[in-house]
This record gives sequence, structure tokens and C-alpha cells, in this order.
Amino acid sequence: MDIAQEFPIRQVIDADGQLVGDRSSVSDDQVKDFYRWLVTLRTLDQRAWNLQRQGRIGTYPPFSGQEAAQVGAVAALQKDDWICGSYRDWAALSYAGVPLSYPLLNSMGHAVAGRIPDEINALPVQVVIAAQTLHAVGLAWSSKLQNQGRVALTFFGDGATSQGDFHESLNLASVVKAPVVFVCQNNQWAISVPISRQMNSQTIAQRAVAYNIEGIRVDGNDILAVYQTLKDVVGRVREGQGPVLIEAVTYRLGAHTTADDPTRYRPSEEEQRLRYGEPVARLRRYLLSSGLLTEDENKQVEEEAKARVEEAVQAAETFPKGAPEDVFNHVYADLTPQLQAQRAEFQRRMQQGGTARG
Amino acid sequence: MAAYEWKLPDVGEGIHEAEIMQWLVAEGDEVAPDQPILQIQTDKAVVDIPSPTAGRVAKILAQEGELVRVGTVVIVFDSASGSSAAVAPEPEPAVSPSSPALPVSAEKQVAGRRALATPAVRKLARELHVDIQQVHGSGERGRVLAEDVRAYAAGDSRPKQVPGPSAATPRPRSVQPLAEEIRVPLRGTRRAIAEHMVRSKYTAPHVTNMDEVEVEALVAMRQQMKETAGEQGIKLTYLPFIIKAVIAALKQFPYLNSSLDDDTKEIVLKPYYHIGIAVDDPDGLVVPVIRNADQKSLLELAREIQDLTDRAHAHRLTREELGGSTFTITNFGSFGGLFATPVINYPEVAIFGTGRIQKRALVVGEDDRIVARQVMSVCLTFDHRVVDGGTAGRFTNLIMRYLHQPANLFLEMS
Repeated sequence: MDIAQEFPIRQVIDADGQLVGDRSSVSDDQVKDFYRWLVTLRTLDQRAWNLQRQGRIGTYPPFSGQEAAQVGAVAALQKDDWICGSYRDWAALSYAGVPLSYPLLNSMGHAVAGRIPDEINALPVQVVIAAQTLHAVGLAWSSKLQNQGRVALTFFGDGATSQGDFHESLNLASVVKAPVVFVCQNNQWAISVPISRQMNSQTIAQRAVAYNIEGIRVDGNDILAVYQTLKDVVGRVREGQGPVLIEAVTYRLGAHTTADDPTRYRPSEEEQRLRYGEPVARLRRYLLSSGLLTEDENKQVEEEAKARVEEAVQAAETFPKGAPEDVFNHVYADLTPQLQAQRAEFQRRMQQGGTARG
Repeated sequence: MAAYEWKLPDVGEGIHEAEIMQWLVAEGDEVAPDQPILQIQTDKAVVDIPSPTAGRVAKILAQEGELVRVGTVVIVFDSASGSSAAVAPEPEPAVSPSSPALPVSAEKQVAGRRALATPAVRKLARELHVDIQQVHGSGERGRVLAEDVRAYAAGDSRPKQVPGPSAATPRPRSVQPLAEEIRVPLRGTRRAIAEHMVRSKYTAPHVTNMDEVEVEALVAMRQQMKETAGEQGIKLTYLPFIIKAVIAALKQFPYLNSSLDDDTKEIVLKPYYHIGIAVDDPDGLVVPVIRNADQKSLLELAREIQDLTDRAHAHRLTREELGGSTFTITNFGSFGGLFATPVINYPEVAIFGTGRIQKRALVVGEDDRIVARQVMSVCLTFDHRVVDGGTAGRFTNLIMRYLHQPANLFLEMS
């Protein structure tokens, strides 16, 4: 099998911002709306990085470079479809409707960030690598058994595809034909491990063959390619064709987290080369060169983004301080008797002047 | 305008301190939010710090090169009201820009490069109140190790513990820093021995029995034959006699001349007698093999032992000469040992060891006389998977009988 031929990378807008594919199913307004989101999320991400450096939030995992893969995929979902992401998928959750202050609250240690608002069908961000793929299969299977017509979409990274959970998820989803869309954001780096040392396969998409499901490679920095591909895939998955594995080829522009320093393991030549085609700059090039956006309008988009992010920062920093017993919230709808007893004991000791450490 | 004191945050996960690398602003500068103001270096990375506020830099409290604890105020801004200052983490008591009483970092400034050390060592230094910059690092590339910090702390605190030189109390002897460990790569023969020993010990359950045998007759016989052999240029040791005694016993105890095939779960009984002899060498133990030792005379054995030993020391043995033995004999008595628990030359199932021959007091006769006699100590280590203690004991007893009455060996000769 010729892998490159079998799994070509789908593209609509190339790195230079030139239209190289068909975007007829996306309106101009939709493209501009995508752009506003990408700029807002990029601004938020960079602001969060600075907030951490200023000591205002804790450890934060930046998603810069992966906004198109996340937003484009979520845009293809319907309102009550499920989203199961990891700690780097706040762009997806934000686009789905979670307030922009949540990623900040999460890094400030507020328990509320673990409680996604009820009207959004998304699980809290998962830190255990690849574990959310299992949850997605469960949700999708349940939807199928109950004829809910809901699709579950799960995001994970290239590193996650080396985990057993990923393979178990693909296998079970394939066997029961669960309506799951597996979206791998192949950002080339699993913390400090490059993809070449992570797997011997040429692509992640080809792994679908082993599970007898469809595998598709798409340019993850091209939001129109991601959106149009996912729109088609989500529709077919909803109709019952079984799960699909998407490999969105992208690049982690920044560090793994604020505690990481990629200059220690990643060649700067690679960063410079791959930064060029990143999703926000690419879409801006397209919009400006095609006349859909003027420089003035672009400035306005950037100002609006800053204002929205500033609001989110204000919201996060004025959020009421959490109480130590908040840790008992949001995991179970009804606390188990054991946890109820633990909480009572905890509160009693706090009242006696103890500290959270006991 | 309000004063905004900015404290050094934990920019990593569990960072305790950071070095001020470079200030990108000066006192009096106007700054915008998120404008880079400072570069710091932590254990993990060089980190750019963006301004947390808009306003004017009122005071810079940490110098470049200084090591600053997380939580220390390093810069004070005259912050524009209505900016992010409103959300400064903790409202601090207002300090006027001209106030001289600002808390200045107590850390001593040390010029030059920051000491290399792991976070654990830095923590140790803090606990021992040692300025890690002052410690000479003995590790790789001058890395400060935990023992360097402890040695420094010990040296530093001694005068305080001993308030003054007293005539009665001897001055504590100054402790020399310990010499560095020497690390020798495990290679070649040493490595082969290590692997072989581990394999043997962890595969075969070893049991050793020990005994003593009176060898007056053997000593006399060897003394007598030694001269004859010497005339032919052959050095006759006790080993050829021991080999003959062992083979005579092996012929009656075939399970001692066997190996265990783990894959097929079969005990393989060997109809041939290839005897390994352990040769001590400065470069490591080698075990050359005398093939078909049962078919060779004492003199032939002696000659072959001499040849193999000489070539072992010269490292001129071939691979074939170093393998394929069915039973091994080790003479730990040659370097003075009386008792030992030899390791089986795996996959054989037993090894016979002989100790030093020396005069010892024995109780003999019906009247319990105590007499001085030449006595050899012997031992047998066996693989308990294949051989039990009874068999091993009877086998050893038989060897001992031949060593005690070596003339009986002639009965066995073909």
C-alpha cells in the first residue's frame, strides 16, 4: 500500500493563504467568523502564558497552533453532540460555548472549571493521556443504544496514539459501530518526544486500517479543510457508518506547558519553518489577499479579541475564592456515603482551626 | 497612582528560586501591560516575564545575577489606576515611591555564573543555610552535589560548635574531603564472569556441604611421584589425583555429571568426563577444560594442567578450550582457603572444591589418641534441583575415600 497516496493530506487553503481546494460549502461570513474566533483564542492563549509568568495563574498548557483543528472540528458538530477533550483543548471548549474565563480558572485551581455548564455537552478536560477516547466511545455507544442520534467527538494528541486506551477505544468503537469521531491533533511532539520516535508508522490515519474503519488525514492548520472534512464525516457517522479516525496534521507552536522549555530539545530551525503555515496567519493571508478582509477590519478584529480576553481575565480574577471543600464537588452528582463522611470530617477539622493539610 | 509590588512567581512547577538574568526596563521607564520587563533563569528554563501592569517602574529591587526566592518582591510599579493593578494578587500596604524602607532581598549577590545543582541539592542547601554559590562543586562540569553542600555546611558550622580551643579537649581533626569514587566499566572477562555467576546463582538453587579428609597417604604418594615427574619436567600437583578421585566417583554417581535442560525439562546425563579447572588470574577467573580426563594418566593430566594454566595466564586459550566441561573442580586451597562455597559452573550441576592441606589434630583409634595428621578440607556445591543432600553427601564421601586411600584409584584404572 502506498501510504502517501492512500492517506493524502486534504487542504483547502495552503500555507501561503492561496485557495487550493473547494470552499463552496462555507459562506464568507462563516469564514470571517472562524477568523474572529481564531484571533480571539490566540490572544487568550498568549495572555494566559503571560498571566502565568506574572504569577497570576498556575501551570497552563498552551494550544497555539492548534486552534484551527479544534474550532474546525467543533464547528461541524450539532449542539447536543458530545466533546471529550484533553487539557490542551480549551479552544474547542471555548468555541462550543464554555466561557473564556474557564481555562484561566482551571489554571488558578478553581474547581468550577471542572464543571462544564449544563447546556454544553462536553466532558471536563482530561489530563490522563488518551483516557477521554474511552469516555467518548461510551457516550457514543450509549447514544446509539438509546437512539439519541448524538455523535461523540474526541480530541487527543499524537502521543496518545501510543497508549493502550487509544487502541482499545478504536477497537471497541469499531466492533459496536459507535458513532465516534476520533480527532488526533498530530502536533508532532509528545512533550519532548518527536513523532519519529513515537511510532514507526508513516501516518496516524493508517492505523484505522487495523480496525477496519475509515482514516483521513487533513491539514490541521487549515480550518476550512478541517471543517469541511469533519462536516462530511460527522454526518456519515451520525447515519451509522461507524467510527472514523481523523489525523489533523498540525504543530505545537509553543511549549508543552508553562513549566517546559522546548529550546532544550527542539531545533529552532524546525520551529521557524513550521510556524509559517500556522492557522491564524494562514487564514489572515487568505482573507486579506482575497479581499474578504481589509487591514482596518483586521485591526478591529484584533481589538475586539483583546477586549474579550480582558473581560475573561477580569472575570477569572474577580471570581470568588474557592473553599477547600470544593474538591468534593462536581465529580459525583450525589456524593457517595464515604465521601459525605470525609467531607464532614474535613469540615469539622477546618472549623477546629486546622488547615487543609490537616 | 498606586504602588504595585510584583513578587517573583513560581514560573515552573515547584520552582523555589530563580536567577535575575537581565532587566529589560529601568527605574523611571513607562511600561505597558505584557511588555517584556525581565528575563530570569530557573532550574528548568530561561523565562521572559511580561509586565503585569501599566505604569512607571518605581523601583527595581533585585540585581542581575542575583538568586531570588519565589515570593520576593523584585520590582515596584507606580501603577496607572484602573489597570490590572486592581487585580493584584494580594492588596499590599501602600508604599510611597520615596519610601526607603522597602524590603530588599537578603540574598547575597554573587558575581559570575550560577552554580549548577539539582533542585533537591538546592533545597538541601537552603535547609542547611548554605549559599550554594559559595560551594565548590565536585560533580560533572562543576555540578554541586549533596555531599559538597553537607561538607561545606560541616566545615562552616564547626567553629560555632567548638567555641574556643580548650587545652583539655583535643581539636577536632579537620576532615579531608572524601576522595572521589572510581568507576571502572564492567567489560570483557569481568563482565562475562559477572553475567555467568548471576545466571548460575539465580538459576540453580545452590547448596554446599563441607568436610575434612585425612590425606597422609596422598601426600606421601604425591611426594614420591613428584620426583619422577620432575625428571620429565612436569610439575605434579594434587590436582591430577583429585581429578582422578572425582571421576571415579562420578562414574558411580552419573547425576553429578549432568545438566538440566530447562526447555525440555530433562536431566541430561553425560557419558564423557570433561573436567573444568578453575584458574586464578589477575585479569579474572578462567576455567579451561580437560577433555576426556578419565582416559588420561596422572602424568598426562599434570602436563595438560600445566599447559592450560600457562596459556590461561598468557590469555592464549581458545574458545573451545574454555567451554564444554561436564564437572568443575576449584582449588581454593592454593591461595590459603580452608572453607568456601563455590558457585556452580552453570549448566553443570555441581562443583568440587578443595581447601588447604595442613596438619591438624585428629582423634584416632579406639583409645581416642590425638594425633597430628595431614588434613584436606573439601566441599561440594550442588544444584538442588537435580541432586539432593543424601546423594551429594554419598558422592563426597566416595571422593574422600579415594583421597584418603589413593591406592584404590588404581583399581579403577582402565
